[in-house]
Amino acid sequence: MKPKAQADPERHGFLGEEFLTWLWFRWETQGGEFHLPGGRVVGVAIDDFLIFAAPSDDETEQTLRHGLPTRTAEARTALRQGRRLKRARLLLAEGSRNWSATLDAATMMMSGVKLPEDSQEVESDGDRNRERSANWLLLLEIVQALYGMFLRERLKGDYLQKGAEQQAQWMAQE
Amino acid sequence: MPAIRRSGGFVAFFWQGKLPDPLDSSFAEALSKHRFRTIENAASEEVSVGWVTAGDPTGDSFATEDLDADPGIWLRMRMDKKTLPKKWLQIHRDVAEKSRGRRLSARERKELRDDLMEKLLPRVLPTVNFIDAVLFAERKTVLLLAGSKTVREAFGKLFFETFTIPLDRGDPYQLGLQCGLDGAAVKVLDRLEPVRWPSDPALAGRSRRSAPTQVEDDEVEEVTS
Repeated sequence: MKPKAQADPERHGFLGEEFLTWLWFRWETQGGEFHLPGGRVVGVAIDDFLIFAAPSDDETEQTLRHGLPTRTAEARTALRQGRRLKRARLLLAEGSRNWSATLDAATMMMSGVKLPEDSQEVESDGDRNRERSANWLLLLEIVQALYGMFLRERLKGDYLQKGAEQQAQWMAQE
Repeated sequence: MPAIRRSGGFVAFFWQGKLPDPLDSSFAEALSKHRFRTIENAASEEVSVGWVTAGDPTGDSFATEDLDADPGIWLRMRMDKKTLPKKWLQIHRDVAEKSRGRRLSARERKELRDDLMEKLLPRVLPTVNFIDAVLFAERKTVLLLAGSKTVREAFGKLFFETFTIPLDRGDPYQLGLQCGLDGAAVKVLDRLEPVRWPSDPALAGRSRRSAPTQVEDDEVEEVTS
């Protein structure tokens, strides 16, 4: 049986899956508020769509959608089996701005993005385009900053003994 | 004038090297050299890919105000594709086979197809696709507001032809390199292996490990050989 990550052409695809699973772990154990470098505070939550990666080429992916999939027995079972998230719909907020997007972990591509509503100050096409351009960039910056936070923890020499062990205990919960 | 969309998907690309200043005329000139060229009257099946702006979908002009989406630059790629409608081909083949009272040979089918392409393609309008991207020059980042492989490849090719700079897709590795990691951390990133999370024996039917582990190199070689 081949480990899935080794079989993938994307050499570091597993890292995106670990990131997405870590986001869920952090959200559930420490709340959805993330303090990012530069004093930014963003809110993160996992919404109504999850796909768990297949642990190997021989096993199946598991999709959960609608309602609160993170609270379901199926999700807990998948975590106890050591499965990582392959894709999830995220809700992100900074100040009064809200984004929703589905993150594909192995590629870090986002689909189904919804940017914040255009603000009431927008008076022209130019204003609207500048605001949307800024909101696309902000979304990338937030995801990148969260990923940087995860990586700094993940790349520590004692990660397996500390961060990963805490996450393992959370994943093993009933 | 159309607006930058506020929904959909995106893929991030990064580059190294120097682009012309987007507010300088040399940037518009570079786009203009690889502007979209119409295939409206073409008599062969083909794809045409090139730059246009939201304000001018023909590719004739690249006005600064059409590109300006501060903090970004609004790029728009136009992809037109002309194909012979399959149903028309089938209709003409059926007529030919009926009149000859037999199935057409491979050579006859090819001759019929070539003949139809010459006659019909000048009358067929190409399908038109506009694909937007927002470029952030200071961050050396461009967000392509589309996700399909065909579009990603066409965009990367057009960008390279225009600026002679290759794009790196923002996958987990490239995104990691953008996070300001030091040299030692990058070396760790290069060698990183997935964590194997402990699994519950009652659920997975496997022996429980007491702690998470990483997939070892020799173990991987063994199972993948």
